[in-house]
Amino acid sequence: MRPRKLLRIARWEATKGVGGFDRGAVAVILAAAAFVLAVGFVGFTGGIALEDGIYRVGVAEDSDFHGPISSDPAFAAVEPDSDAVEGNRLVADDRYDLYVEERAGQTRIYLADSGGEPTEKSRAALAALRRSTDQYNDRQMFQETNATAAFPVVVTIQYVERGGTETVAVGGTSGEQGTETGGDTGESGSQDGTERGGATGDGDGTSTESGDTTGDESGGRIGAPSLGSFDLFGTAGAAGTPSEIQPPFPFQSLVLAFLFVLPLNFLIQAYGSSMLSERLDRRGELLLVAPIDRSDIVLGKTLPYVLVSLTITAVIIGGLWLLGGEAGPLSILAVVPLTLLFLATTFLGAMFARSFKELTFVTVTITTVLTSYAFVPAIFAETSPVAFVSPLTLVIKDLTGTSVTLGQFVFATGPPTLVAGICFLFGFGVYREEDLFTQRAIHHKALDALAGRIHRPRSVAGVVVLLVPFVFIAELLAVTMLFALPVALSIPLVFASIAVIEELAKGLPIYAGFVHDRYERTLSTSVVVGAAAGVGFFFAEKLTLAVQLVGLPGSRVADAAFQTGLGATDPIVIALLAFAPLGLHVLTSTLSALGASRGRSMFLVGLAAAVLVHLAYNVAVVSRLV
Amino acid sequence: MIDVRNLRKEYGGFVAVEDSTFSVDEGEVFGIIGPNGAGKTTTLKTIAGLLEPTAGTVEIAGQSADSRETRRLLGFLPEESPLYEEMTALSYLRFFADLYDVPRETANARIHDALDRLELDHRERAIGDMSKGMKRKVAIARSLVNDPDVLVYDEPASGLDPLTTNYVIDFTKELAAEGRTVVFSAHNLYHVEEVCDRVAIMNEGRVVAQGPLEDLRDRYGSTEYHVFTTVDVPDAVAENGRYRRVVETMDDVEKIRSIAQENGGEIDDIRTVEPTLEGLFLDLAESGERDHTTHSTEA
Repeated sequence: MRPRKLLRIARWEATKGVGGFDRGAVAVILAAAAFVLAVGFVGFTGGIALEDGIYRVGVAEDSDFHGPISSDPAFAAVEPDSDAVEGNRLVADDRYDLYVEERAGQTRIYLADSGGEPTEKSRAALAALRRSTDQYNDRQMFQETNATAAFPVVVTIQYVERGGTETVAVGGTSGEQGTETGGDTGESGSQDGTERGGATGDGDGTSTESGDTTGDESGGRIGAPSLGSFDLFGTAGAAGTPSEIQPPFPFQSLVLAFLFVLPLNFLIQAYGSSMLSERLDRRGELLLVAPIDRSDIVLGKTLPYVLVSLTITAVIIGGLWLLGGEAGPLSILAVVPLTLLFLATTFLGAMFARSFKELTFVTVTITTVLTSYAFVPAIFAETSPVAFVSPLTLVIKDLTGTSVTLGQFVFATGPPTLVAGICFLFGFGVYREEDLFTQRAIHHKALDALAGRIHRPRSVAGVVVLLVPFVFIAELLAVTMLFALPVALSIPLVFASIAVIEELAKGLPIYAGFVHDRYERTLSTSVVVGAAAGVGFFFAEKLTLAVQLVGLPGSRVADAAFQTGLGATDPIVIALLAFAPLGLHVLTSTLSALGASRGRSMFLVGLAAAVLVHLAYNVAVVSRLV
Repeated sequence: MIDVRNLRKEYGGFVAVEDSTFSVDEGEVFGIIGPNGAGKTTTLKTIAGLLEPTAGTVEIAGQSADSRETRRLLGFLPEESPLYEEMTALSYLRFFADLYDVPRETANARIHDALDRLELDHRERAIGDMSKGMKRKVAIARSLVNDPDVLVYDEPASGLDPLTTNYVIDFTKELAAEGRTVVFSAHNLYHVEEVCDRVAIMNEGRVVAQGPLEDLRDRYGSTEYHVFTTVDVPDAVAENGRYRRVVETMDDVEKIRSIAQENGGEIDDIRTVEPTLEGLFLDLAESGERDHTTHSTEA
């Protein structure tokens, strides 16, 4: 690699790219930028107006509740109509979700009901009213000149990090979870109870006192931050707003974090087009004749897009900083691996796509998969270490002013950086005349890329090792997707996912070698190739021990996925966990190799057999250990 | 200067070039001809370092063709040379000059010199707005920005109108006259015959004949004598009041003379026709196909 040439190509790519934008494209880019800025501003200022006026409350202007209601944009204060309440029931219609009635010095709040039961919306409205009233009262108290009178008792809360807690609850109740979380739960619950009086739930009736507004935020729920009580899909019916989810849903941070990822989706469109246009009509052929390395060409063409991404990130951080935000270098460091991952996968996709139509399919797939990879784990930023699967979690931590350990940083950024590097490596392999300008189908090109690094049976091991970071990320994503499900469902699904992912990672390079005649289609060669793939995978897989160090402590699903054996103490069990996979991987790889040596159909049969054996091993061995 | 030894190139299972061997001397103009699919372009791209040989070697000035140093010596013009159409001719050529580490001043002088010789104006015009002939001239100028010792031109006049074609061929002759080694292919065999010192004829991936044109004529072709008589002789064709008979030896000419005199006539004219490259090419291609058919039948 020669930096001067690389920079010259980068400069050319930048100027060529700028010259290539027509007015329409510039308009789209500006519109996208405006959208990003608008979302950022609204998200940061907390001014998401989606809930404005969604709850209609019948309340008189002289009511004590009129102040809290009129100060919260989520409410629309409606002139009360005494006919609306019939026989202590507020029948649900378009007029009211709640109805505040002041009678004989008492305040009664009616929830709109349907069929004798309060509607979901009226419950949510009541919960919101409690919160707003609480905040309104606090504001009123802060305006008192005598602070001691306003707040005679000051409680300082110190949060203590839980250690080794169970992250997957098995359909437990609050009591069970409280037991799991131990002493910290009690502390939190106690403090909460002191502050709020421990009032009970929100769906318990039709009336409440004005001072009793936070009963649903009982100590039990705050004190049990297990996902067992995390109503991910809002099915518990307590409330419908993200802020009502306990533990807190980092909604604002996620919206802001979204800002950092959104530009990448635009960027890869331009990057993918540029890469593909080198291939169409053989435009890039002359660069290949020039006295420069292929890596100079690729990295030179990639560099401007990396710089654009970093510039956008810096601008966003600068904007947030001006608005009083806390994002800083950590956010930039977290966005770098995401940028590289988006660009590397797009580069590889552009090497495989045969037309802009196919490229569109590729980039949409990349956008969907990688955005899921970035966001789904980040949802759990406040609740589970699984969140550190995504670098976006680092951005959220940065935005919320929470520190992260070096281990967490490496865990979040290492795998995507590694995968990006390997994608570029595979891409370099096919960035040559006879691969760039052929019209082979995408799956053939993928096999070409794999076979490009296979020269003899043993070299399959090296290719399999290169694929392990992909396997790692895919498995982490599977864990993230599945760990919120009940263990009875999530563990079998994880076992199946792991078996498929790992057997594909070993089987495809073996098959690619056979397709490209890198070795003979004999029984002995199949055994050698299978053993090489199995051994290579076994040793590279041990990299996933990083999970034990920093990643997913205490997660049974993660334990099932990575066989970390955190709970194992018996030396025999530990030894079994350490070396049994070696036999498994060699056996299953050999099955795939035997099939692959006999053509595509038999490869699929061999692969299926390998997956079944792997699954059986997971069920028979691993499930007894986790 | 260029040494191709036992070159074999496969694409997947398809063999594009098989066991091809030839060499090109310094300052020589070497043509590669053959029907479509004969392996000409694959051979040229292997010489240009774009393709890696499946077997055999390709060396330029004693170094492997795909080495970085070799690529500095070489100017390549592919048959289809799509350019970066959003760039101007000058910025495009300067960009490539930078990639070849040509100092800016030298590059500017070289670029303007090439464009002057190619009579290309509108140098600041976007390439996308240029005619096909102008684009081809820009592509040729690009092949010269590094002042290469070796030029590899694949169908340099492909798709151009006759006027531009002649211009490009004449320019190629000029480059050869400057002492550069030129290897090129062309469909128009007249151009090859006009420019090349030696040629290789390829068919079905193999070099079926190579050498100076005179040698090829001697080896594979024969001189024809068109004998015109005032009276009819056996196997003659009537033409404008005369009779024309084609023979291949002077003995046959003497026999015709005798026959004509016996019939009260005489030889009116004798014209010598040397074998053309096209004739050789067609003969060799046909014979190659015939051989191939024979082998297939035997197999």
